[in-house]
Amino acid sequence: MNQEFTMVEINYWAIAPLLVVVAGALIGVLVEAFVARASRHNVQLGVGLVTYLAALVVLLAKSRTEHGLTMGGSVVIDGPSVFLMAVILCFALLSLLVMAERFGGPAADAFTPMGAATPGSDLERSAESAGWGTTEAVPLMMISVVGMMLFVSSGDLLTMFVALEVLSLPLYVLTGLARRRRLLSQEAALKYFLLGSFSSAFFLFGAALLYGYAGSVDIARIALAIGAASPVLDGLLLPGVALVLIGLLFKVGAVPFHAWTPDAYQGAPTPVTGFMAAATKIAAFGAILRLAYVGLSGNRWDWEPALIAIAALTMVIGAVMTVTQTDVKRLLAYSSIAHAGFILVAVMSFDVTGVSGAMFYLVCYGFTTIAAFALVTLVRHEGSEATDLSQWAGLGRRSPVVAGAFAICLLAFAGIPLTSGFTAKFAAFAPAISHGGAAGAWLVVIGVLASAVTAYVYFRIIVTMFFEEGAGDVVAITPSTLTTIAIAIGLVLTILLGVLPGPVLEAATQSAQFLR
Amino acid sequence: MIDNPYVPLLFFMTLGLLFAAGSVGAGQLIGPKKANAAKAMPYECGLQPSPKAEEGGRVPIKYYLTAMLFIIFDVESLFLFPFAVAFNQLGLFALVEMVLFVITVFVAYAYVWRRGGLNWD
Amino acid sequence: MTSTGEAWAFWILATVAVVTALVLLLARKAVHAAFGMAASMVALGAIFLAQQAPFLGVVHVFVYSGAVMMLFLFVVMLVGVDHADSLVETLPGQRFWSTVLALGLAALLMTGIGRVNYTGTADLSAVNADPGNVPAMAGLIFGRYVWVFEITSLLLITAAMAGMVLAQRQRLTPKATQREWSERRIRSNTHVAGLPNPGVYARHNAVDTPALQPDGSISALSINRTLKARGQVASPVEHVEAEERIQREITEGRTR
Repeated sequence: MNQEFTMVEINYWAIAPLLVVVAGALIGVLVEAFVARASRHNVQLGVGLVTYLAALVVLLAKSRTEHGLTMGGSVVIDGPSVFLMAVILCFALLSLLVMAERFGGPAADAFTPMGAATPGSDLERSAESAGWGTTEAVPLMMISVVGMMLFVSSGDLLTMFVALEVLSLPLYVLTGLARRRRLLSQEAALKYFLLGSFSSAFFLFGAALLYGYAGSVDIARIALAIGAASPVLDGLLLPGVALVLIGLLFKVGAVPFHAWTPDAYQGAPTPVTGFMAAATKIAAFGAILRLAYVGLSGNRWDWEPALIAIAALTMVIGAVMTVTQTDVKRLLAYSSIAHAGFILVAVMSFDVTGVSGAMFYLVCYGFTTIAAFALVTLVRHEGSEATDLSQWAGLGRRSPVVAGAFAICLLAFAGIPLTSGFTAKFAAFAPAISHGGAAGAWLVVIGVLASAVTAYVYFRIIVTMFFEEGAGDVVAITPSTLTTIAIAIGLVLTILLGVLPGPVLEAATQSAQFLR
Repeated sequence: MIDNPYVPLLFFMTLGLLFAAGSVGAGQLIGPKKANAAKAMPYECGLQPSPKAEEGGRVPIKYYLTAMLFIIFDVESLFLFPFAVAFNQLGLFALVEMVLFVITVFVAYAYVWRRGGLNWD
Repeated sequence: MTSTGEAWAFWILATVAVVTALVLLLARKAVHAAFGMAASMVALGAIFLAQQAPFLGVVHVFVYSGAVMMLFLFVVMLVGVDHADSLVETLPGQRFWSTVLALGLAALLMTGIGRVNYTGTADLSAVNADPGNVPAMAGLIFGRYVWVFEITSLLLITAAMAGMVLAQRQRLTPKATQREWSERRIRSNTHVAGLPNPGVYARHNAVDTPALQPDGSISALSINRTLKARGQVASPVEHVEAEERIQREITEGRTR
């Protein structure tokens, strides 16, 4: 044996936040195994909160400065990855607070008492009256968070693919665990799973083609190979890029890969929807940014037109479909598609300010979205969520606080000044104007028009809530302190980032440089 | 020709095919053929198989779960194989990594066991 | 260039793999699709073997044709072996347009990939000789890609949890033990000696066949409730008749 085995160099501080969340997830699974059912809810909540907080502290205190490649190139710690990992952890914290809401019951209100029981069966009813719950949601979410954090920091396509699976699989399961409207939830999970695995296959196929092209899955090596341009292998490059991007664009819900979004968002437990909308978007855009700016920027002239068309389509179809929705969750789903289009505009500027603009937009959108979906969980009709828009009529008179808070979220989605939506749109569109050329300018025009269309929808909801008479049996119930904290943080940041975007924008700008 | 590494493969495939075809064919040729109702039954004793395939019968999902759990540990063992073969070269680091991997998977095992996933009732 | 043997192997195996993959896609019956998948995976594994990647080839056959195939068969058993896809289109024109788009995508990919021309001979024999195929794989798994390897364990955990959460029904109350059953029987003073056993006949002995009472009538208690509910109770008549026939033959034999 003359070939010695070489160990990879490990910078433990760099991957410490990931290790913390992995450890938390494992402890969460062990809690499921060994802690009595009655106390599991609280223990899991504690484990989750401590894990996310610890990971955040380690990330900001130690890993932040450990820039570089580690684990043999699998993990890249640089500005964007640290920034996005921190944001993902913040969103996970807030979402966990909302997911743990019990409304005075024995188990988390959003999750089914027994996922395996036939919907509507006696078994399900007795599990419900026994106070059972699906506390597995917390470790599943932690595993998903590991995947997301790894997704934005992966330095090669293989790691990226495994991260994609690690982040997606738990989400498929979580989607199917809603307490109410079980069949809808299971259908959503199945659709999300089938389409999601299909898109993963696209990603994998693309990664294989890029491996064939560059002889390596490392993003940096692929960039080198594109720079060296070998005409014999050129046939692999564009199909590879296209297929990889399809896999990633699916995750952000860009048109025409958006078909799963409304169904999955509607069927999933509402707090999970908020988490998916905020955190999955971050993770997927983190990967898109890294690939577009580091790995594939060499031949971007080849694939840029397609991405511009997708961005335009995403904004237009997202906005137009928002108008026709009658269900709040579906409406927010289409709105999230439109927002994905706005972020793509920032990505298409191919400038460092585009990176910071996209990252800032993701932060603003995420906090508002988590708060918005948390507020949706509060509006109830006979105990279950009233998601039909007509049921929200007159909510502003009966529950002015919840309706007012939701109105603030809607104003932010619409991009009204003094909310985070405005500053975010500005941060996303400005680089497209200054660096995106004519296409960038056109995209911004489309973006502004699409915003106007969605603004109409949001104002219509506000009018429905405050100026229409509705049936009196739809009310907003009072959440626990934890959910209130999560909603309050979301709302305060929605306002604060609109009035004082400086610090976060500054942080985004400072972390916008990818390690090449 | 005989040096070709595929020749043994071909040889084995042919042998396997011949053996399979031969066994079935020999039974057909030399076996006595006297049918009666008892012989047509799947078992001399025991219950008629249920659910019956010809009625498009369906089986409970429990079987599927067991199969899935098997796959989890099957995949784990796949990683154990190259580790074991190359253990001498890999050294302590790989041992630690493999132990970590096995512990992680055993966390899943503990969960399944405590939840009653290994019971059949 | 590849050797002729390898080229032959490739063209035969590739044809098998593609055709059986199409069977997997297009077969209307789930069982046929399962067979298609098994054959396709075996062919792919054989291609890996032919590419001097024995570990990958064996693993492929192991995992896909063995384990995943087994899962597939259980799914077939779940949905019923005779279950066939419904061919009703819920979206009008969907099949037409998806076929057009799929063919378009395939054409695009083929024109792109078809232009590629590799030079030189891909040969793994050096690596396979030293350090050997499996050790080389181990070197990658525990070397460059050790992080991916470790993270994969999270996928396995997720799979276990997903299976348990979505498919394993837990008991709300513990299952009654044999002792509890017998105590219950004695307390209630019914069937203190236990329920009658199912029938034992000269030619048959199974729990689905009821016992006969001394007067020749069927004892309903000797059959499990579940079997009764499923309508799986066999009739003892044929066994009794068979027994009588044997009895007759024996008596006839004696008198002959």
